[in-house]
Amino acid sequence: MSKRNIYTPDGVRDILNDECYAKRNLEQKIRELFRKGGYRELETSSIEFYDVFSNDIGLVSQESMFKFFDQQGRILVLKPDATIPAARVAATKYTLQDFPLRLSYIGNTFRYNESGGGKQREFTVAGVEIMGVAAPDADAEVIAMAAETIRCGGLENFQIDIGQINFFKGLMEESGLPEADIENLRILIDRKDFIGIEELVRAHRLDSDISKLILSLPKPIGNIDTLDRIQSMTRNAKSLEALENLHQVLDILDDYGLSKYISIDLGMVYDMTFYTGIIFKGYTYDLGFPILRGGRYDSLVGKFGRDMPATGFSLGVNMLMTAMEKQGLLTEKITIDTAVTYTPEGRKTAFQLCSELRKQGLVVEMDINNCSTGDFKKYAVSRGIGGFLNILDENRIEVHNVKTGEVVLTTIDSLLENGGVGRKS
Amino acid sequence: MRYMNIALAKGRLADKSIGFFEYIGFNVDELKNDSRKLIITDEENKIRFFLVKPGDVPTYVEYGAADIGIAGKDTLMEEDRSLYEVLNLGFGECIMAVAGPENLFGRLDEIPNKRVATKYPNIARKYFEIEKRESIEVIKLNGSVELAPLVGLSEVIVDLVETGRTLRENGLVVLEKIADISARLIVNRVSMKLESERINYIIDGFRKKLNEEETRYAGNTKI
Repeated sequence: MSKRNIYTPDGVRDILNDECYAKRNLEQKIRELFRKGGYRELETSSIEFYDVFSNDIGLVSQESMFKFFDQQGRILVLKPDATIPAARVAATKYTLQDFPLRLSYIGNTFRYNESGGGKQREFTVAGVEIMGVAAPDADAEVIAMAAETIRCGGLENFQIDIGQINFFKGLMEESGLPEADIENLRILIDRKDFIGIEELVRAHRLDSDISKLILSLPKPIGNIDTLDRIQSMTRNAKSLEALENLHQVLDILDDYGLSKYISIDLGMVYDMTFYTGIIFKGYTYDLGFPILRGGRYDSLVGKFGRDMPATGFSLGVNMLMTAMEKQGLLTEKITIDTAVTYTPEGRKTAFQLCSELRKQGLVVEMDINNCSTGDFKKYAVSRGIGGFLNILDENRIEVHNVKTGEVVLTTIDSLLENGGVGRKS
Repeated sequence: MRYMNIALAKGRLADKSIGFFEYIGFNVDELKNDSRKLIITDEENKIRFFLVKPGDVPTYVEYGAADIGIAGKDTLMEEDRSLYEVLNLGFGECIMAVAGPENLFGRLDEIPNKRVATKYPNIARKYFEIEKRESIEVIKLNGSVELAPLVGLSEVIVDLVETGRTLRENGLVVLEKIADISARLIVNRVSMKLESERINYIIDGFRKKLNEEETRYAGNTKI
């Protein structure tokens, strides 16, 4: 057996240095956004019972979960999704006064073969859920939060496609197609397989208005006019209600000033068991996968014992980072403002000075190698640190400018008054 | 403008695909030369062609490294990638089939435990599990699959059948058809949204060429 102690398993990786720095900063920006919207952050456990994710609606496919056993032989999984635990929590851990409830999370999830993480098996997701509100205003707020979350990364080139799953469900009820064919049709629409859809529709000799509507599903809808035309051809109440609901959400998003990012797609039928209304996905350039997805899921929370409407979205943070990198927006780097070395007489002062400078917001590195001034200068150059301080005793300090080689003798008091050393101008 | 990336399968399918791109006005001169280059650029139209192994086309398109591609339905079925399959281009026609010795014709279901040799393990497994509701032993081979039943490695094979000549010459027959196969135009799911204008130009152009061919063909048969 070859030793595996220096490798990481497939689909997981180490996030280091500037990448980790930028990722934490991005997460912090997203966290601030969620907090300012009044969302309560939650951290659900990384390990859950298998049953949470695989009850009768088959939420997460068995093959995609990391599974193991507890000491009683029950099946456990690594959290494959963040929305389902949030629904479990909403149904079991909050009192009725807590609703409507705004929840948010930023954390890692684990899946095999998940395109949501850009094919990574461990990936960070950030998202929000609104529990207990059925109004279109909640759907619009969630979509607006999704757009703002993408903007946290500085991205302006993105698109959010919105659909309404009940439009398709209503059409299917009206068509009277057998269940197996509905599922086939759903798959064909999801793949935009125009020929397959046409063959299936022809084979069943459907009414011409329904046929036209079904055939229009995989085509993009540019504007509200097209939506109105579709509305005029629709007969069944469920589909009409779906279009009305979509209209309301689009109107609200227009007032948010987000219309330029929004496009309509009634062919979004990728998950019919989970979603029950508005459904959306976010895309950006240079990334082969959607960056976020979300929608209304009014039947999920009830699975955990308390019926309530709910809506939310989830964004892949790693994918947002990849998009930022490809669009030249990932520029944040770890910086050291200044470094401090000392003589034995200056050590105590050095510690005090260091903590004072850090309080002022500077990033300060201490010499921990008892370097000579010359060696410390070399070290500063290698790390890209512009200047360093040599503390000679209780009061006297040498200020070294690494770039110019200039050395100035000064005192602690005057240094602190000038607001530190090496601060970027 | 951003380059639009197109993945083409090296070999037979690429040669046929070139005609379609030529028809819609892309510069394919360099593609026609038998070059060793893997990336061929049409600067005027901002197009880059990648030449990859046939089985890899869906992978390039799914990940978005290529916006669109042309791949055989056989590789699409085997790879089962998440992408849009927008157009049947008609060429490269053949069938995916279960084949075996003649004495098994009509009696395939009588073998309780089948060993199936194939280059397409996923297609074979899915067909037997879903369509025929049975478990099989899949033996993955890389070529000359017809040999397997002859030397007792497997009872039957799952493979592409074009003219059936190889089967016949080795005493094998098609036992069951799994699917019709031909070349398909595939599109990355995100590109379809964000590059819809250019991609629809390609789809519409291809469709027009297909219609013209169909009319011409229909005209010929009348004579």
